[in-house]
Amino acid sequence: MNNRFKIILLRLLSPIFAIFLAALISSLVIVFIHQNPLKVFVTMFSFSFRRIDSIAIILYNATPLIFSGLAVSVGFRMNLFNIGVEGQYLMGAFLAALVGFSIKGLPAFIHLPLTILSAIVAGALWSFLPIYLKVKKGVHEVISTIMLNYISFSVIHYFIADLLMDKSQKMLNGLGSPLVRMPKLMPTALMPRMREFLNMFGFNIPKHVYLNWFFPLGILLAIGIYYMLMRTPFGFELRAVGHNPDAARTSGIKPEKVYFMGFILSGAIAGLVGLSDLLGYFGYMDLDFPRNYGFNGIAVALMGQNSPIGIILSAILFGFLNRGAEGVQTFLNVPMDTVIILQALMIISIVIITKVMNDYIKRMEKREVSKNASGRTAGVQL
Amino acid sequence: MINAVEVKNITKRFPGVTANDRINLEIKRGEIHAIVGENGAGKSTLMKILSGLYQPDEGEIYIFGKKAVISSPVKAIEMKIGMVHQHFMLIPRFTVLENIILGSEIRAGISIDNKKAKKIVEDLCSMYNFSINLDSRVENISIGQAQRVEILKVLFRGADILVLDEPTAVLAPQEVKELFLNLRRLKQEGKTIVFISHKLDEVLDIADRITVLRRGRVVGSAVPGEITKEQLARMMVGKPVLIDLKKRETDPGEVLLSVKNLRVKDPGGKSVLNGISFEVKGGEIFGIAGIEGNGQKELAEAIIGLVNIDSGSIKIRNIDIKGLSVNQIRKMKVAYIPEDRHKNGLVLPMKVWENEIMGFQRDDKFYKKPLLKLKSAQDFTRSKIREYSISVSSINQAVEDLSGGNQQKVILARELSENPDVIIASQPTRGLDIGATEFVHEQLLKKRDEGKAILLISADLEEVLALSDRVGVMYNGSIIAEFKPGEITLEDVGIYMLGGPEKKVSGE
Ligand SMILES: Nc1ncnc2c1ncn2[C@@H]1O[C@H](COP(=O)(O)OP(=O)(O)OP(=O)(O)O)[C@@H](O)[C@H]1O
Ligand SMILES: [Mg+2]
Repeated sequence: MNNRFKIILLRLLSPIFAIFLAALISSLVIVFIHQNPLKVFVTMFSFSFRRIDSIAIILYNATPLIFSGLAVSVGFRMNLFNIGVEGQYLMGAFLAALVGFSIKGLPAFIHLPLTILSAIVAGALWSFLPIYLKVKKGVHEVISTIMLNYISFSVIHYFIADLLMDKSQKMLNGLGSPLVRMPKLMPTALMPRMREFLNMFGFNIPKHVYLNWFFPLGILLAIGIYYMLMRTPFGFELRAVGHNPDAARTSGIKPEKVYFMGFILSGAIAGLVGLSDLLGYFGYMDLDFPRNYGFNGIAVALMGQNSPIGIILSAILFGFLNRGAEGVQTFLNVPMDTVIILQALMIISIVIITKVMNDYIKRMEKREVSKNASGRTAGVQL
Repeated sequence: MINAVEVKNITKRFPGVTANDRINLEIKRGEIHAIVGENGAGKSTLMKILSGLYQPDEGEIYIFGKKAVISSPVKAIEMKIGMVHQHFMLIPRFTVLENIILGSEIRAGISIDNKKAKKIVEDLCSMYNFSINLDSRVENISIGQAQRVEILKVLFRGADILVLDEPTAVLAPQEVKELFLNLRRLKQEGKTIVFISHKLDEVLDIADRITVLRRGRVVGSAVPGEITKEQLARMMVGKPVLIDLKKRETDPGEVLLSVKNLRVKDPGGKSVLNGISFEVKGGEIFGIAGIEGNGQKELAEAIIGLVNIDSGSIKIRNIDIKGLSVNQIRKMKVAYIPEDRHKNGLVLPMKVWENEIMGFQRDDKFYKKPLLKLKSAQDFTRSKIREYSISVSSINQAVEDLSGGNQQKVILARELSENPDVIIASQPTRGLDIGATEFVHEQLLKKRDEGKAILLISADLEEVLALSDRVGVMYNGSIIAEFKPGEITLEDVGIYMLGGPEKKVSGE
């Protein structure tokens, strides 16, 4: 087989191969819990892809991960590790919920952007302290962001369960207890779903699908980040600082300034992570608001190798794993904990295998290009 | 006699370039073999193949007569080939001894037998006349000594063939002499030495045989004594080379750079510049001679704004630069060629064109809100590549894939492009071949004739004396002598470089 063809094929097959191997590894666990691996995977796939609404749900699942993967990757590009996306998005969602329920009487085209903006601001503010400490005092960002994650959990708990709890919930005949949640957001602050839009094109998306406009927004943002990194002076400086802060400084760039702005940007993007859930699904913030998007974003960024396209694709893969897991849980009666272990296992193996495969492909490519360059000798060739 | 190394038809290709093109080479046991050639000729690539860092695409290697596949540096050392890296790979906080034995410790049960190791290293030192204190920390030793540590490292691992890539580029003349003494001694003891250098005088001095590479091919070999420097240069370049600088008389203009009583401390609070004063006028090259590590780096970095001034002042065109940022100082038309190109000069994983505009990415020339002007930047890079004959296969290549000399040219082209008034040039020709060195010297003299002020810091004494209008000798954070080239002898300069009697022979 022609080598160049082989490389292209490997490129395309690499993620599939990675998933396959990961499946193989998880099979061991599945066998261990006395299930038939084949049946589990068939269920995952058939459940996920049989119907259009299921695909829409996968994309809905992917939406927060696109944002968090992007947020983490902006940090990685500067050689900073923003573990704080978790806390930043919770604070973002919280402030958005606050703005969403407390301001009344605004038209949607003002209220919704304002709500989104407040999430961005909250995420940015929550990333301010760690980067300030890093730049001014040399505190490692991993330490400070982990601490701030804990603080954000507590702050939100306090506000939701105490200060801002919705006391107006009506109990039926005094039965049951009220939900620990904040008041519901105004309808003007909510993000419309994509259902009606998609139905115009003949897709038949049922009501229970919450895919909303944050998904295309995430993709636009990914494209925007790509342009920012590769085409603007700021992105240029960000990459230079990430690779070699000494050389950047010598050329007149201020690494501290770049770290500062880049990290705040990362936090601002992180602020958006929870909005698809908040403004497109729940409509209120409670103590059970989805967690872990920030941490999963690290895996997404690693797997997507910090490239915006890669991040979108790996977010969708994660969305699929979630969806498939639901199927396995429902139809095969596998306990939730096992499904979570399975998921984590697949994620880890996929991340590792893609890394190994990509290194291999890169080496092969180098060899290949050099073979085709035979005959030419050193010298200027533009 | 059996050959230590025999290379047959070795070919190594990189994207867009054949770095080694059917190379044939024989290196006899116990000889000092020099490899010379222009920047990008493929010297380092060949050495990396010998030391297992690269695999050849074609061809065969025989080590001591046996066919060898050198698949990794570990394999290379098993075959008794040791590479002395140009960028030292030493751990500053460890002692000399610890650095030497690191990774191949002698074990006594589960612990490390330091006594035995020390004995072995001491024996090596006395056998080859290496003078070095095994207990001093590497952070406190000079560059020449660090290099000795690197050589001891490979000797400790049992190397019989030593590969040295441009070992003299970082050394002061005195240190070169010492290195050569060591190398001759190693040769006497039967070691084989392969080394690369751009300094032809050195090559003619120490080598037993010389192989010349040009554009990836062996174009000839020579024996010193049967060939002159000019002939050798001609072989390398393929046409006659004029090694002759024309320095015109100029009238220095107004003072563009003035340093007064400058004191700088290192982060640990130790004083590294102890009250330095000098002035450089437009149309003048002020040279700083001295062994590296005597404050030259800090002086350059203080002027460009990278380190804080403790006391004293630096003025550019009579404006005090205290508190200004690197960017602000650069915008005052100050250019800086840093001595360490990998640490300060380049962002290695980024592309050639990106490195070529580094620092100018927000200038109107390359930036139209909100985007970089890709086309301008790339056209600019192409024109610089032509002007400086930088050998690249594409402007989108990562700059780390360029040969050492070509990396240096990328920096020079960038720093001299914006028509600076003040040029701080630290080791500007380090690693450049004779042609390129000549070109840079011409450029610097041209800038001088145009009325620019140039501070030339170089470990290469000949370079300093040839280019400068005035020379200061730095020792231990002070300028201990100042003179005009020709006023005092080379020997006297050497004495000052080693800290000789403080005396001011001002030419004014
Ligand atoms: N890793 C690499 N990837 C791509 N090209 C490379 C790589 N290493 C070297 N080259 C190319 O191979 C050619 C030879 O490079 P090499 O480093 O061997 O030159 P050299 O003779 O050591 O030059 P110099 O005197 O400048 O150090 C150059 O054109 C260089 O750009
Ligand atoms: Mg080289």
